[in-house]
Amino acid sequence: MITKILKFKSSFINLVRFNRYNSSTNILHPSELPQLHPLLIKRVDILKNDLQNLSIKLESQYNEEIQTNYDKISSILSKYEEFNSVRSEITELYNITDSELIKDATMEITNLQPKYTDLIKELNYHLIPPIKFAEKPCIIEMHPGVGGSEAALFTFDLLQMYINFCHFKKWKFTIISMNKNSSGFINEAILSIDEPGSYDTIRFESGVHRVQRIPETETKGRVHTSTAAVVVLPKISEGNESTLVEDEKFFKPNEIRIEYMRASGKGGQHVNTTDSAVRIVHLPTGIIVKQQDERSQPRNKAKAFALLRSKLAEIERIEEINFQKSIRNEQVSTTDRSDKIRTYNYPQNRITDHRCNFSLHDIDGCMKGNKLIEIINKLKEDDYKTRLRQLIGDYSTK
Amino acid sequence: MTRVTAKLIRQARSISPYLPPLLPANRSINQALLELKWIKCELPKNEWRKAVNKRLKWVPLQYILKTQPFGNLNILCKDGVLIPRWETEEWCMKLANLIKGLKLEKLSMIDACTGTGCISLLINDELKSTATNLDIHGFDVSGKAYDLAKENNEFHHLSVNFHLGDVFDEEILDKLQLTDVNLITSNPPYIPEEDYNKSVLLNGVSKSVKLHEPKLALVGNGEFYYNLLYNLVFPSSADGFVFELGYKEQADLVNEVAKLNGWRVGYMKDSAEKIRCVLGWKADGKFKSLKDLCSYVY
Repeated sequence: MITKILKFKSSFINLVRFNRYNSSTNILHPSELPQLHPLLIKRVDILKNDLQNLSIKLESQYNEEIQTNYDKISSILSKYEEFNSVRSEITELYNITDSELIKDATMEITNLQPKYTDLIKELNYHLIPPIKFAEKPCIIEMHPGVGGSEAALFTFDLLQMYINFCHFKKWKFTIISMNKNSSGFINEAILSIDEPGSYDTIRFESGVHRVQRIPETETKGRVHTSTAAVVVLPKISEGNESTLVEDEKFFKPNEIRIEYMRASGKGGQHVNTTDSAVRIVHLPTGIIVKQQDERSQPRNKAKAFALLRSKLAEIERIEEINFQKSIRNEQVSTTDRSDKIRTYNYPQNRITDHRCNFSLHDIDGCMKGNKLIEIINKLKEDDYKTRLRQLIGDYSTK
Repeated sequence: MTRVTAKLIRQARSISPYLPPLLPANRSINQALLELKWIKCELPKNEWRKAVNKRLKWVPLQYILKTQPFGNLNILCKDGVLIPRWETEEWCMKLANLIKGLKLEKLSMIDACTGTGCISLLINDELKSTATNLDIHGFDVSGKAYDLAKENNEFHHLSVNFHLGDVFDEEILDKLQLTDVNLITSNPPYIPEEDYNKSVLLNGVSKSVKLHEPKLALVGNGEFYYNLLYNLVFPSSADGFVFELGYKEQADLVNEVAKLNGWRVGYMKDSAEKIRCVLGWKADGKFKSLKDLCSYVY
């Protein structure tokens, strides 16, 4: 009997608590609201300093470039001021304890909170310079590495994973080409994701992916280790007939050599070949792209040109990063395309990303596409921090 | 040609049971895999077996899949009509771009020996969105080709007028009631009889072409160019002509005949560096920029 009463009492208390909690669900304590990263706040100080220097410069002489720079910084800073005032207002309102005013204050806070989150989003975006090609769609190139046919099987699994990821994100994609070797195993797959801005998300996938599992081809049940190389490129051109003319103009005639895989002979009416492969050699860099999947030769050519432009853009981006690194003269850990970035361990049902030391214990979920975003978000966070640190480093050494 | 080895056949069978029949026509597993992929993409599953067995008998893939990409068009192909070649597609696109650049008020064109109608249809398709008024005609002596060309025209919703007609007919222009013409194109049969019977290694035709494509559309020589000039180019008010060919002698013949009638002549090579087209223009005519397409001007 006593226990029954006690139980009833405790559930009653829970009910009351629940009610109180419920009345204030949409109000968060100011400390629970998203905060600006301390490094970003430091960057604000730097920007203030810059603004002062710029205004001094502007007083002595007018320069359009300095003026636009000045306007940009001052607009960011005014946003920051606004952000500060909103934050202090929320804190003040929250500290009101008067029972009559509390209702109004709650209303006020609920109105201010969305504004606060919008401002913080904008500041997060504006206070850090964007990375190159972030707004572009992307192309993913996959090749099997060490491990023979098992590596080829894993490459195919990776392709499936990215396709599933596209389904999950509701992104449009096309398989540009998929080549198999003479034993029927995949030796190259190129996937194009046509969503603008997908490059910013997918770019973390560049590098060597390692798999540890018992392959389907293994008869004695031993665990093998194989790898597949993934290269993510920004998509510069659409790669269809209408962009072909523009893409061709992009290169000087002596810069590229276009080869058609044609058998010798008279050609024309004498033969009816189905071979429509096109190979483009970019002479200054020695990059070779080959396309053969389409029955139409101009379409193959357009695809090859688009791929070549993407490859050159990626090289340009990497060179720029290296140049900046050499200016800073510091050791920054960035991933090279030859670095092993991730391990897929099937027996332990574990995916570990070696760049952020994050392990996901759901291989199936990741390969089906819906868990990959967890790893990518982790990497994004990490990358954001490194970029911030670099930024502060840049400013403090200047 | 060397025999397809047993080892290659075994290897192909281990990949797919559909693959070995594609080997004789393709010679390599990679190319056979590509063809198999296209077959699988374009035909329903219950026709795959039939398709690969047809290919084993050297039937051109274009007849099996019933289409051939040609520029932005997908030309329908049928037994008895020559399959459009990539070389033709290449010079056609160049010609279409050149005409676009001319910004003509009106283009009236005749395509002789039109076959599937690919040349006239592609020019029509490329220029339909420009300000140029189009009046494009094509004719062929073969009834099969005439039917297929009309089908292609409807299939692509284009406006080329096709007729039955013979280039050897001296009154062809009157019969077609075409007098105001400014451009004449043609892809006439240009393989000499003796080459038609040779192996492909001696500049002959490939087995698939000889067995399955119409001889009527393939075997011919100088007489076609002679008749094209005398029955179409000279009696009409044409300013330019483009004829496909395969031999330097044919271009020389066109030059000799046309030069006497006040034409400038040059020839063009394809991207495989083989002589492919002979072009003619009046020195002060609308099509004098055809000269820019030539790799050699007589």
